[in-house]
Amino acid sequence: MGKRIVIPGDILSNDIKMSGSGTYVADGAVRAALYGLMNKGDRYISVIPLAGKYIPQPSDRVIGVVTEVAYSNWIIDINAPYDGLLHISQYPRRIEIEQMSSYLKVGDCILTMVRDVDAGMKVELTLRDKDRELRRLSEGRVIAINPTKMPRVIGRSGSMIRLLKSAIGCNMFVGQNGRIWIHGNDDRVDLAIQTVRYIETNAHTPGLTDRVQAFLNAKKKARFGKTYENENEEEW
Amino acid sequence: MSEKPEHFIIDGKRLDGRSVDELRPIKIEVGTLGRADGSCYLEWGNNKVLAAVYGPRELHPRHRQNMTRSVVQFRYNMASFSVDERIRPGPSRRSIEISKVSREAFEPVVFTKFYPKTAIDVFVEVLQAGAGTRTAGINAASLALADAGIPMRGLVSACAVGKVDGELVIDLMKEEDNYGDADVPVAMTADGQITLLQMDGHLTIDEFHEALKLAKTGCDRMYELQRQALIEKYGKESMIDTEDDGGAPDGDIDE
Amino acid sequence: MAAHRTVISMSDDVMVEIQRDHLLNLILKGEREDGRAFDEFREISIKTGAIATADGSAHVKLGKTELVVGVKIQPGEPFPDTPDKGVLITNAELIPLASPEFEAGPPREKAIEIARVVDRGIRESKSVDLEKLCITAGEKVWIMFVDIHMLNNEGNILDAASMGAIAALLTAKLPMSQYGMGEDIPLPIRDIPVAVTVVEFGGALLLDPSRTEAAIASTSLIVITNSDGSISGMQKSGSESLTFEQVLQAVDMAKAAADTIREKFLDV
Repeated sequence: MGKRIVIPGDILSNDIKMSGSGTYVADGAVRAALYGLMNKGDRYISVIPLAGKYIPQPSDRVIGVVTEVAYSNWIIDINAPYDGLLHISQYPRRIEIEQMSSYLKVGDCILTMVRDVDAGMKVELTLRDKDRELRRLSEGRVIAINPTKMPRVIGRSGSMIRLLKSAIGCNMFVGQNGRIWIHGNDDRVDLAIQTVRYIETNAHTPGLTDRVQAFLNAKKKARFGKTYENENEEEW
Repeated sequence: MSEKPEHFIIDGKRLDGRSVDELRPIKIEVGTLGRADGSCYLEWGNNKVLAAVYGPRELHPRHRQNMTRSVVQFRYNMASFSVDERIRPGPSRRSIEISKVSREAFEPVVFTKFYPKTAIDVFVEVLQAGAGTRTAGINAASLALADAGIPMRGLVSACAVGKVDGELVIDLMKEEDNYGDADVPVAMTADGQITLLQMDGHLTIDEFHEALKLAKTGCDRMYELQRQALIEKYGKESMIDTEDDGGAPDGDIDE
Repeated sequence: MAAHRTVISMSDDVMVEIQRDHLLNLILKGEREDGRAFDEFREISIKTGAIATADGSAHVKLGKTELVVGVKIQPGEPFPDTPDKGVLITNAELIPLASPEFEAGPPREKAIEIARVVDRGIRESKSVDLEKLCITAGEKVWIMFVDIHMLNNEGNILDAASMGAIAALLTAKLPMSQYGMGEDIPLPIRDIPVAVTVVEFGGALLLDPSRTEAAIASTSLIVITNSDGSISGMQKSGSESLTFEQVLQAVDMAKAAADTIREKFLDV
């Protein structure tokens, strides 16, 4: 299913009610605000960007890195033009200000959620959630891809990420901010990273799932030979 | 520097064989620099320019931040070896002025309100100069901005018009630039909104009217080439496809 | 790096920092993140004559690191202490187009170091015969400006700059005709010095560091060697020390790499 490439200013529709994300209305027409792919739905026309920065929105799950421990707040780099603030009260348990560094120190990676973004782009984060999924990432590796490619790594209803996890045999989390956490033994993490890079490079080509499957098969044969399958079973 | 030619137009042809409303050869490549968020390499006649865009990114120093929108910054710079006589590296009065008017050529089209407190940095480097570097820089910058995923009302296209042998000509080459009677660099959007206009030399009001019309012809042609370059960036790789998307982004970018 | 760190591009630095342990582990296993051997360079491409307004030029790609070196030559006054010799002036511009960590403004420490080390290699090897660049002793000599213009920084700027500088000089012409002095003639070049950076990282020595490797490795040794195997310049750069053995090994590695680069890419 091909999609048309549009460039800023292109007229997408004369029905101004159709204006969706990545578009604007001028002179009675819906126009593209971005260089990207036109996505025509039943109710809205939007433009899917091909590049761009991550801009935080409430309830986004992101991977952050602690860059500073300030008074009652941890300052978190979230791969955005804005720093995130994690207030001491948003840590899952009650801790004292003097103890902050012993729970989260500079350089630590966390899986966190955007709680609120105000008009001045103050980004508040939290580590509190019901499922206890938000946490410090004490193991594993974190890589970054362009945030606009992130939907392809996840796939439709999570199909791509499921394929990666099961075929490679490692644990992964894809943050909305384009950072990906991968955990498993070294060889598998390496393969996972190669596969993510492959998806990133081929993000807008047809039949991506099949190609990724073929890529993985070829890599697995070359890297692990026969032993890989057995090893896989042991751990899973 | 070469001598002033006796005639600039002979039998309707200019010194390089072009007609009065013809652009010099143009080559455009989008996305050439890996580190930048968006980039473009453009050759136009003897000009070779690169544009890179970084951002939106955190703006320092802090007092320069705007609480309600992003700040567009533009730096036009010439490599010291880009002209006949080596120029000292770093900003000059000329490059500071060009940077300012070029920035102002983009401020009307960039949707800055989505990124409060940030900077959108545009860098233009002239590697080889051959008349018309500011318009070349603007054309490249326009594509670098699009390539970086910066929301814009539309592309900006630029072209200069000048006067030699009493006739208006489009896209000045070096001799016409050095010895011509007027130079009018213009930048505009596809629907004809002018975002940069400068002039030096001497033109009658009628001539200026005509010059603007000619500039539009040049900008329209440039726009087509810019558009083609953006389409080609992905067109080359293969058909665009998004069958597996985990979901389209939501939230409007309405004005 | 440190001087630039505070300002922009936090995310980039953050990503480098969190790769540190991983890269170190790889090195201990004898591997690099892009699969290269320790003494293996990324792909090199040198295109000379890229800039028509320059008297000599080279567009260098070292992996994805990219720069242009332009040489401009013009008559001018000699230095008082060398009245019968031409003048070589080398400058590097780490322009903000090339990387999020570069800023506009006058050259800083890093750019100055790059320019000076490249300059030293050419000067000390006596690669350019400066005596032949005298026009009128004490009055007029040729002045060569070697300008290194960074386009994309993916690490190891110095080696790329060194290759670019000598490649641009090798193809440069004295612009005699421009000054009514007859035909343009090639610059008198006698040697081809090549600078190679060796970085120390986890006790191992690596060539051609990528951007992440360069950011994490704290210390490097730059060695400039000539066609006959002699050394015409060295520079230790960075905050850690190197052992005696490391220095000797680094020189061997640099010389071998320089020989290959000279033979493959600078053979004119």
